[in-house]
Amino acid sequence: MSMKAPADARLEVLRSAPLNSWIALSEDESKIVAVGSTFSEVVTKSEEAGVSDPIIIKTPKAWAPLSV
Amino acid sequence: MGTFVSVSLKIPYKKLPDGKGGFGYYAALPVNIALPTKNAPRSKRFEAIIDSGATRCVFHADIGKAIGLDVEAGEIESTLGIAGSTNMYLHDISLYAPGGIIAIRAGFSIDLPVAGLLGMTGFFDNFKITFDAIGRHCELERLFRA
Repeated sequence: MSMKAPADARLEVLRSAPLNSWIALSEDESKIVAVGSTFSEVVTKSEEAGVSDPIIIKTPKAWAPLSV
Repeated sequence: MGTFVSVSLKIPYKKLPDGKGGFGYYAALPVNIALPTKNAPRSKRFEAIIDSGATRCVFHADIGKAIGLDVEAGEIESTLGIAGSTNMYLHDISLYAPGGIIAIRAGFSIDLPVAGLLGMTGFFDNFKITFDAIGRHCELERLFRA
């Protein structure tokens, strides 16, 4: 039986996340609990999902090496 | 003037997809921001990249709107990135970081591809920051000036 390390689970979650969106991750960062087109929308949706302390991430239009 | 450290923490590097099936490492910190007024409600935690290439802290305009800022009423500042120049709007805010609140003047931009950047003025000047590429972590030591 193989298990993914939590950090790699997070990477897979990010790969599966909608692009150019706001996503809310569960406290352990292992799954997406809400998606929104704005920060406020994803906050509302994560509260509706019962997650009071998510970590919110903005996904880019396309994944690529970051040079911001 | 003396300086002392009160908080120290190690943050493991995180991985971001690189769009080619691999990934890149980066250092990021979950932070909250709020209006600078006393007892102003904080934003939810969001992930901001620790970025020595950013002159100041910059956050996505959506987060500014969420905490109640009239983002476009702020002072306009032109900023230069790898993709060219863009305008951002400056506002005084409270940054909730390890060791407590930091009063900063931050930029807000609708064009930022990530939620936030923790830059030199407002973040790096409050911490001793060590990037450990071998251990793949970043160590933050909050500095306070007596």
